[in-house]
Amino acid sequence: MTEPAIRVDGLTKTYGRIAAVDGLSFAVEEGETVGLFGPNGAGKTTLLRMLAGLVRPTGGTITLGASELTPDDHGIYRRLGVVTHETMLYDALTARENLRVHADLHGLDDPAARCEAVLDTVGLRERASQRPDTFSHGLCKRLSLARALLHRPDVLLLDEPYTGLDQRSVADLAAVLDGFDDRTVVLTTHDIDRGVARCDRALVLDRGELRADVVLDGSAEAFESTYRRSIGLDEPGRDRTT
Amino acid sequence: MKAFLAAVLRIVRKDLRVESRTKGITTTTAVFALLVVLAFAFSFVKTFREPAVLGRGALWVAFVFGGTLGVTKAAAVEDRNAALDGLLVAPIDRSAVYLGKVTSTALFVFVVNVVTLGATTILLGYAPTPRTALAVVGVLAVAAVGFAAVGVVVATLTYRSGLDELALPLLLVPLVVPVLLAGVELTAALTAGAPLGSWLRLLCLYTGVLLLAGVATFEFVVEE
Repeated sequence: MTEPAIRVDGLTKTYGRIAAVDGLSFAVEEGETVGLFGPNGAGKTTLLRMLAGLVRPTGGTITLGASELTPDDHGIYRRLGVVTHETMLYDALTARENLRVHADLHGLDDPAARCEAVLDTVGLRERASQRPDTFSHGLCKRLSLARALLHRPDVLLLDEPYTGLDQRSVADLAAVLDGFDDRTVVLTTHDIDRGVARCDRALVLDRGELRADVVLDGSAEAFESTYRRSIGLDEPGRDRTT
Repeated sequence: MKAFLAAVLRIVRKDLRVESRTKGITTTTAVFALLVVLAFAFSFVKTFREPAVLGRGALWVAFVFGGTLGVTKAAAVEDRNAALDGLLVAPIDRSAVYLGKVTSTALFVFVVNVVTLGATTILLGYAPTPRTALAVVGVLAVAAVGFAAVGVVVATLTYRSGLDELALPLLLVPLVVPVLLAGVELTAALTAGAPLGSWLRLLCLYTGVLLLAGVATFEFVVEE
């Protein structure tokens, strides 16, 4: 039996007395695309940043394949590609130079060729000599994705990949992601339609707790109903803005 | 070890490239340091008859304030677009990220200090012999490393915890007082041809302690 790509056991993150993530346990199988859904403050981004090793858990464990994610095991980052709200890029460097910095840090063989390959993948070869601060939000997102894909990670972590993108940019991004269906992907989103279209499974979080674990069948309506019930959105008196 | 040093060098190279494009750290810091020297010149040059005292005073005041500005600017580069997170999700030791940042920041602070030393010579009449000037440059180099060692940690902490920029000098300056004290005393001793005493040992030891403390704490500073 193969190990799951990601296993989370009793994961907790507290800030003072507030539990941003409260005892989460779940597993993500290899090649599976899992969406993290939930209202603002549900703990989606904190969970994703813990999976990326950017936030230190207060308790619990994260295992990638057979290896536990610890701050000292730097090699494990070769398996992870991370895209957050921020681009993680330097405005003073061109798109190509930014990718080269990360390719070098990952110790890739033939980094120049790999940079050109991912620029092609995300359709940015023409703009490679330009700086990211001249890019639209959609282009920045694509460059950010190129950075995350440089080292051919097994697991992609995407935080709100569709936020702030127009229809065309969303379609472009979806086309790029379509080429990586064999990877394990964990993404957070508020966009139920796009999330359901992209994901095999949904985890619904609310106030740091796992409220539902749903296998998706492509029906956004069916999932939305489960989602609303899971976070108590249909309960009388519940704040409908969250 | 080879991979560790290669990662440090890659970060330094990246910082040098970013700075070569923007000149945001060195230009701002140098202008600020020169303004400090100019302020000294306008305030004291007609009344103060000891250029060596005036020169070293201006040099180290400019070192502290210019250096603080320098580490702030260097940390701002990593804060913009959360670029530091990009380094943290790379498969490299986080102490390599720290030492890379310390090396490049120390380099920027050092270059500005050498320019400041030249300005004190021109504007304040501080004229050490070439041999003394070389020794002072050496002291400035070690002091720049000590300053950057603690500056990188404190500036990163300030940005990542969302503290006001005012918090940076309040946290940083008390920690670099031994560096400053040793630097001033060493400059005085070198200019007067007096023995360096234990100040050089203090400067080197304290810089080493700051570096070790930085390596030990950076991991916790960058993780939320």
